[in-house]
Amino acid sequence: MKRKIAVAAALAATLLGTAACGSGGDDNGTASANTKVDGTGKTIKVWLMVDAQTSWKNVVEDASKRFTAATGAQVNVEYQQWANHLTKLDATLAGTDVPDVVELGNTEFSKYVFNGGFAEVNKADFENSGTWLSGLSGACELDGKTYCVPYYAGARVLVYRTDLFKAAGIADAPKTYDEFLADADKLQSGNKDSKFGAFYMPGQYWYAAMSFVKSTGGDIAKKDGDKWTGQLSQPASQQGLQRWVDAVKKYSKADVTKNENDQANIFSQGQAGMFYGNAWEQGVAEEVHKDPNDPTSPMVPTKVKGKLAAAPMPEIPSFLGGSNLGVTQKSGNKELAAQWIKYFTDSTSMSGLVKANALPNATALLDKAAADNPTIAPAALAAKQSWFPPNAEKWADVEKGNVLQTMLTDVLTGKKTVADATKWADDQINTTLNES
Amino acid sequence: MQAVDSPTTRPAPPGGGTEQRAAVPRPSRRRRADARVPWLLALPTLVVLVALLAYPLYRMIVLSFQNMRLRELLTGLTPSWVGFDQYEKALTDSTFWGVVGRTAGFTVVSVILSVLAGLGVALLMRRVHPKVRLAMMIAMMFVWALPQLVAAQTFRWLTDSDFGVLNYLIDKLPGVDYANHSWFVNPWQGWSLVTVLVVWAGIPFLAISLSAGLTQVPKELLEAATVDGATSRQALRNITLPILKPLLTIVTTLSVIWNFGLFTQTWVLRDGHPEPYYQTLATYSYTQAFGQSKYSYGSAIAVITVLLMLGVMVFYIRQMFKIGEVD
Amino acid sequence: MAAARQDDQVLTVGRSRLGTIFANTGGVLFALVMIFPVYWVLNTALKPRDEVMSFRPYFVPAHPTLDNFSSAIKAENFVEGLINGLVITLLAVAAALVVGFLAALAIARFAFYGRKAIILVILCVQLVPLLALIIPLFLMLQKANLTNSLIGVSLVYLMLLLPYTVWTLRGFIAGIPKELDEAAMIDGCTRAQVFWKIILPLTGPGLVATAVYGFIQAWNEFIIVNTLNSPAKQNLMAWLLQNQTERGTAWGPLMAGAIITSLPVVIFFLLIQRNIATGLTAGAVKG
Repeated sequence: MKRKIAVAAALAATLLGTAACGSGGDDNGTASANTKVDGTGKTIKVWLMVDAQTSWKNVVEDASKRFTAATGAQVNVEYQQWANHLTKLDATLAGTDVPDVVELGNTEFSKYVFNGGFAEVNKADFENSGTWLSGLSGACELDGKTYCVPYYAGARVLVYRTDLFKAAGIADAPKTYDEFLADADKLQSGNKDSKFGAFYMPGQYWYAAMSFVKSTGGDIAKKDGDKWTGQLSQPASQQGLQRWVDAVKKYSKADVTKNENDQANIFSQGQAGMFYGNAWEQGVAEEVHKDPNDPTSPMVPTKVKGKLAAAPMPEIPSFLGGSNLGVTQKSGNKELAAQWIKYFTDSTSMSGLVKANALPNATALLDKAAADNPTIAPAALAAKQSWFPPNAEKWADVEKGNVLQTMLTDVLTGKKTVADATKWADDQINTTLNES
Repeated sequence: MQAVDSPTTRPAPPGGGTEQRAAVPRPSRRRRADARVPWLLALPTLVVLVALLAYPLYRMIVLSFQNMRLRELLTGLTPSWVGFDQYEKALTDSTFWGVVGRTAGFTVVSVILSVLAGLGVALLMRRVHPKVRLAMMIAMMFVWALPQLVAAQTFRWLTDSDFGVLNYLIDKLPGVDYANHSWFVNPWQGWSLVTVLVVWAGIPFLAISLSAGLTQVPKELLEAATVDGATSRQALRNITLPILKPLLTIVTTLSVIWNFGLFTQTWVLRDGHPEPYYQTLATYSYTQAFGQSKYSYGSAIAVITVLLMLGVMVFYIRQMFKIGEVD
Repeated sequence: MAAARQDDQVLTVGRSRLGTIFANTGGVLFALVMIFPVYWVLNTALKPRDEVMSFRPYFVPAHPTLDNFSSAIKAENFVEGLINGLVITLLAVAAALVVGFLAALAIARFAFYGRKAIILVILCVQLVPLLALIIPLFLMLQKANLTNSLIGVSLVYLMLLLPYTVWTLRGFIAGIPKELDEAAMIDGCTRAQVFWKIILPLTGPGLVATAVYGFIQAWNEFIIVNTLNSPAKQNLMAWLLQNQTERGTAWGPLMAGAIITSLPVVIFFLLIQRNIATGLTAGAVKG
């Protein structure tokens, strides 16, 4: 007990001494990945998201091994869950004992880059940096400098039931949006089950809805000078959103308040003809690990095993999702950290990711990826015609603020018209993005 | 367990508590030592509260007068002082007042429902066969033992639009189509669900406490009333409830504190991103601070929340304070 | 059970047999409705995946299995979470009892200048929303090198439990007649002897009840531990929270994990079932 009190007293004492000061950031030198560093006896701390753990842990281990061989430094990888991860990152980066390398979703990065959370890196040090996917690297660039490194990407494709297509007399995946609608009609009318939906599309799947907005030339927001303006209430955007709403209302039986997290599981129940998802989601829909907590457990087929195929969604450009890696500004091992990223994003690591159904970080690698792994071929194709949300400092706040999700649900439930909802969303976007 | 007796049968303390001590003659040296003893005893508690609560609390209040954003957080720059700007922003924002109203409305409705249900169950337990009573107790103990997070996740699973058993059962009713029904499209429906969850999880504590209190209602009194021709309702209103009142006050105020701070339930049911019409003060403050990186604004909202709570709880605190005074 | 030993003839005085039938039916229905979600947790935990993930729910597992339990137990950080949770909780509860008991003694047995202020502080701090304190708490603990440590979380939980502990124990101590102390002191006992021989033994049940509620509070917390510590140093609640958003929820193992998580509390409740209602209210009202 006494010890407890002693600890508390020590706490109080430290506070008195250090309450006011934060550690002033180091000098903004570029973290070079090519200088020879002797890292013997040092350990760098890496925060990756859980996807790496479940899907390509071997790639991480291999890259770390090569890194250690070259520098002598050890690597301590900590896997983070997506839930709540930014709260934890905020709290950690505010302190002094920070991870050296951090992975964030590509739409999350801008905010931290703008606010000085990450150190500059030398773009030329990284393999394939000339052809990085702009949807990923866009968030890394600020005033001509580079603050993070693209890691992997995912593009959405149309996943469909080959058996139902066949039964409805459809020979091939749709090539145009009109064909897509015609196919959906055939699937829907060919199935008498009232719970069957030709196209599974949950109502808060904003990546999908915004892809439709893009398909008619619309946009989410544009920058004029230094001011952002929401574009959703522009006619082109409204037209695209209407397109999405019509398709959802007619062909989808999905929950309008859900997002896409569960879609592969729901689709595997066999009550839908098509869905719009990542390449790996097709895999999840067809077979799952017997023990979901053990990536080495045997696979168990679902009801739709062997009945799925994927193709690019016709005329609808894909949202390019994915992650980047950055060296934290407060890291004490910036050069080692940059070197680790160099190994983890080089061509060798990228081909490992491709085997695990992720898209590589550079366009130069896309064709080879498609050839090496047929599963991701449609996604690789879709990635070439992709879009990316506004590269605004506050964009992540729009996402976190549920602006687009609320707009979509309001329209689908009939609470608001497309015109009213987009007007409301634009107001929210203008306020959020232009806030000082 | 004698402690159960206390709410209802506590004898009025004979005279003020403090004088009692003076009745024991003690050498005066002893008394002077006494003045230090209670402070020594309370010291560890005070140290813990000051070190781990007062400082963060102080920081929270300071923060609410600054404008701390992500840049200040990440780089350690001192945030600029903005005086009462954050408070002004909150108090003039209709969204904020909407959240306050929603939180208050939910608290009132859920507390009334919980306490009534708890009282009803407690009374019911007095009337049923001992075996039925045992079954009711066991059911309630299991519900009580479920952690809040688990209870919320369970409800999320029960009401899932695709896999939930609730939709399946309702769908079986003739003429009702509840397949793939989403419970959160209509905020009234969504809030009903949250309320059911909160009331369901709250009943065990309320019913078991109140039923313990009911055992203290003197049977002779009830018997006499019945002999005098009082109906059971009259007996309830005129005998049972007055005796139960102090206990009712306490369980009600506790429920108010808990339900006013509603967070976990909506957070889990809405999958970590409650829509604007599912925001309460706790979730709103949290999403403003961490979702939008408006740490100062979130702190200001938290401070306002504490003040609102204090306003409502002044009554409770005074009551408790008096109790603490007595001995 | 607390109320199970009432003599029934008195209770049913003046009540119709029909009313009793209604009451019993109502009681049984109530028990069934209350327990249904709990049953559904168990039911889900015992089903293989294809029965869990089925649009047509299985009301009883068709092929009962313990796979979900083994999956949860073998899952990353589950066992760590269990042990961490126990360590953090027991440390915090033990510390809160010792520290809190002393303060409760001061408030309940001494009249001194500043006593009112202490009572007021203890009552008011219970209204502070912890969520708003996370960042200052984090920074503070980090400076003391106590983030990502079980001790650090225990300290925060100690702070969390303390006001309630002090207040409840105060009620139990106040319930012991002062005449006992006084008689003992007249018989020549010192204050310390009064404490060891009278107050401590007589507050025993109160200490147990307070400990159990403290345990539940600390055991059920997840936001603080999730923010302060890395996954390997978190508790089972945090594990449950994180398990729900990964590529579609694995409901079977999640529900199995939920059952394991709830077990310690169920066991505690069974142990103190007679006193179950006293912990939260008795201390608060006892004068």
